[in-house]
Amino acid sequence: MNEDRKRILGMLAAGTITADEAEMLLDALGMPAADTAPGAASAGAGGTADATSAAVGAASPGTARAALPKYLYVRVTGDDRVDVKVPLGLLKAGLKLTSVIPPQAMDQITQSMSQSGMSIDFDNLKPEDIEEIVNELREMEVTVEDKNGNHVRVWCA
Amino acid sequence: MSIVVLPPAFINVRVHKEGEAHFRLWLPFFLLWPLLLVVGILALIASLLADLVLLLVGAAYHGFTRLLLGVLKLLPETRGTTVHVRAKDSSLVDVTIR
Repeated sequence: MNEDRKRILGMLAAGTITADEAEMLLDALGMPAADTAPGAASAGAGGTADATSAAVGAASPGTARAALPKYLYVRVTGDDRVDVKVPLGLLKAGLKLTSVIPPQAMDQITQSMSQSGMSIDFDNLKPEDIEEIVNELREMEVTVEDKNGNHVRVWCA
Repeated sequence: MSIVVLPPAFINVRVHKEGEAHFRLWLPFFLLWPLLLVVGILALIASLLADLVLLLVGAAYHGFTRLLLGVLKLLPETRGTTVHVRAKDSSLVDVTIR
């Protein structure tokens, strides 16, 4: 039996994670979740976010993950058509730049963004957080369609 | 070991408006690299001096060199950016950075 799968099923049997979390982890490994360990259904409020993330981290590096996204795409169709492709490296570099902006300038930026309805505290954004955000963007897809037939799609690939 | 990524080499801009003359710009941006290098070095020297002075006077912030390097790092990351806008009146704006 695959080591990762065994580990996940072991955690399920121990009640560390719930059945839903086990299924999610097994899906991430690219394996079917048909065979669950006994007693899995009775695992009540077991699974914690820490256990889940530890399980994901414990998965072997060779697990099948999609390649890291390279571009952020924005497509708007409707009356006007807009296609934008932005390298994610640019976003990463821009976010990392926030840590070296002078504090007075940063306060003004934060204030302006708050007034526009975006309350983001860049001071607490660490470089590893930025990497994780960008890496997880591969799963992101936003699709909006309004009643006028305008269609907006945002995704990373 | 990180790979040195160069600034954009070409920038294409195309603007087309119905009933008006088309505008097309193909900019061999790589010709500006020597100038960018000179400006970058001068700015780096100035920022190093500024940081040194600020450090000596005890200022809380003395990261202008890091800021400059961060800004310069943005330039190569713009490669691959494309913007394509077509309005319903068939006017078109196309920008590609390679």
